[in-house]
Amino acid sequence: MRKLTLNGINKVFLTHPDREVFALDNIDLSINEGEFIALIGPTGCGKTTLLRIIAGLENASSGEILLDGQPVADLNRISTLIFQQYSLFPWYNVIENITFPMEMKGLRKAERRRRAEELIQLVGLQGTEKAAPYELSGGMQQRVAIARALAHDPEVLLMDEPFGALDERTRHRLQTVLLEIWKRKGKTILFVTHNIDEALFLADRIIVMGTEPGRVVEDWHISLKRPRNRLADDFTQLHLKIRNVLEIT
Amino acid sequence: MLSERSANNGTARKISHTLQSLILPISFLVLWELIAVWAANPALIPRFTTVLGVLLNPLQELVGTGSLLHNTLVSLFRVVLGFAVSVVVCVPLGIFMGTSKTLHRLVNPLVELFRPLCPIAWIPFAMAVFKTTTVPQLFGVRFTETILDSVQIGMVFIIFWGGLFPILLNTIHGVAGVRGLLLETARVLGADKQKTFWKVVIPAALPDIMTGLRIGLGIAWMVIIAAEMLPGSDSGIGYLIMYAYELAEMQILVAGMIVIGIMGLGLNHGLQLISNRVSNWKALER
Ligand SMILES: Nc1ncnc2c1ncn2[C@@H]1O[C@H](COP(=O)(O)OP(=O)(O)OP(=O)(O)O)[C@@H](O)[C@H]1O
Ligand SMILES: [Mg+2]
Repeated sequence: MRKLTLNGINKVFLTHPDREVFALDNIDLSINEGEFIALIGPTGCGKTTLLRIIAGLENASSGEILLDGQPVADLNRISTLIFQQYSLFPWYNVIENITFPMEMKGLRKAERRRRAEELIQLVGLQGTEKAAPYELSGGMQQRVAIARALAHDPEVLLMDEPFGALDERTRHRLQTVLLEIWKRKGKTILFVTHNIDEALFLADRIIVMGTEPGRVVEDWHISLKRPRNRLADDFTQLHLKIRNVLEIT
Repeated sequence: MLSERSANNGTARKISHTLQSLILPISFLVLWELIAVWAANPALIPRFTTVLGVLLNPLQELVGTGSLLHNTLVSLFRVVLGFAVSVVVCVPLGIFMGTSKTLHRLVNPLVELFRPLCPIAWIPFAMAVFKTTTVPQLFGVRFTETILDSVQIGMVFIIFWGGLFPILLNTIHGVAGVRGLLLETARVLGADKQKTFWKVVIPAALPDIMTGLRIGLGIAWMVIIAAEMLPGSDSGIGYLIMYAYELAEMQILVAGMIVIGIMGLGLNHGLQLISNRVSNWKALER
């Protein structure tokens, strides 16, 4: 079933004095319900811009976004974005950060706490409820950010290089956690990464973007069996194939 | 150095650190006492022990100006009232100026115009305009027989000016400086404008607002002492030390100075404690 449809999304930034940057050029994309999509491409090809438009933080210069075939009035309501940078509220502790979106929705306090505890279990952060963000490592902060995004309970989860700053081991552990969550909650996920291995390990579908102007270059369905093995032949072959495409874009 | 590291002598270390920090103050007091005894001229250098005597009898009537405690409370009352007016006016104004570019453009030229004017320069102006009208008189009550009868509007006015700029500018800085990333995070997590304001903007700006309050209160305390030292004043700790000077009562003058110092320290420390209570995240953040 089709969840999100992007029709001819263009984004032009006017930079001073009057240079135009074509960040996105005519992006057509349809995203199915429950699909895990990895978005990969060279720096500056517009991945963050695309996510920000879908999240409703930025307006497209032209084009439309449909949800279940209908135009969306308030994109904030259907999606949430996990930023490339660490974005926990520094004045709230872990549990207060996670309950934040539920408080915005007006959930009762007991209910907020109950769900937050569940989410803390899910991302494996038991015992850190009262910790402040500055007391957490980067990997833990990103886990809290994921739990907080899930607390918002969006239909579409947008993730902008969430594991970009982490070491390989932590990255692999969080990938497994994310897949577990995805399986259990059935969310639609749009995941930006620079890491081919990460894209191949996670996604049903890998979209390669090219730069100047930002556009879709390739759109592959990845039919590797799950759980995926990074060392299997078909995995490494796909890895090489994607690398070759990325090298020429 | 190595022995300092071991875990079980933490208490010993604490005591030794306390002793270290006491060495110079105690030496200073001893030296003071020795010089005073040697000089044998209490009108020039009173003995520390004499000054201590004044400090330990705060209820004693001093040269017809009321007691040390009374004068301290008068000054404190003036400051608290004037400072409260500053806070009530400047924090909301600063929040509006920090959020609305239009309001900032509108009000900022006025701020820049008045800012270089030292609050002490307002004292003669305030005395000329408000004369000796007290706060109760403003509300039509002549005498309340309380300490409020010593709180003149002019005094409140200049303390207000002393607190104004530090509080206003720090509040603007705090509110305008909230990281865009956090505002956008609130938005993608479903916060509307009003909730973003209360749950993100205010907590983010609170450390800066508290800094403004602390600086403002410090200035207010300095300004009140200066105001009380000018002719026309009739009470307060600043008045007391000026009057003691005229009577050459050095021990009262110095005791008054010590009270001014201690009160300033206490006010700052008190606000610091409140600040740590309500917003300590910024100091701890990496
Ligand atoms: N607010 C803006 N104003 C002007 N130009 C912008 C703005 N935001 C993005 N751009 C430009 O749009 C293009 C795409 O930027 P974007 O941040 O989406 O890239 P990206 O693919 O996320 O890159 P990276 O992988 O480095 O994060 C870049 O050329 C960038 O300079
Ligand atoms: Mg980016």
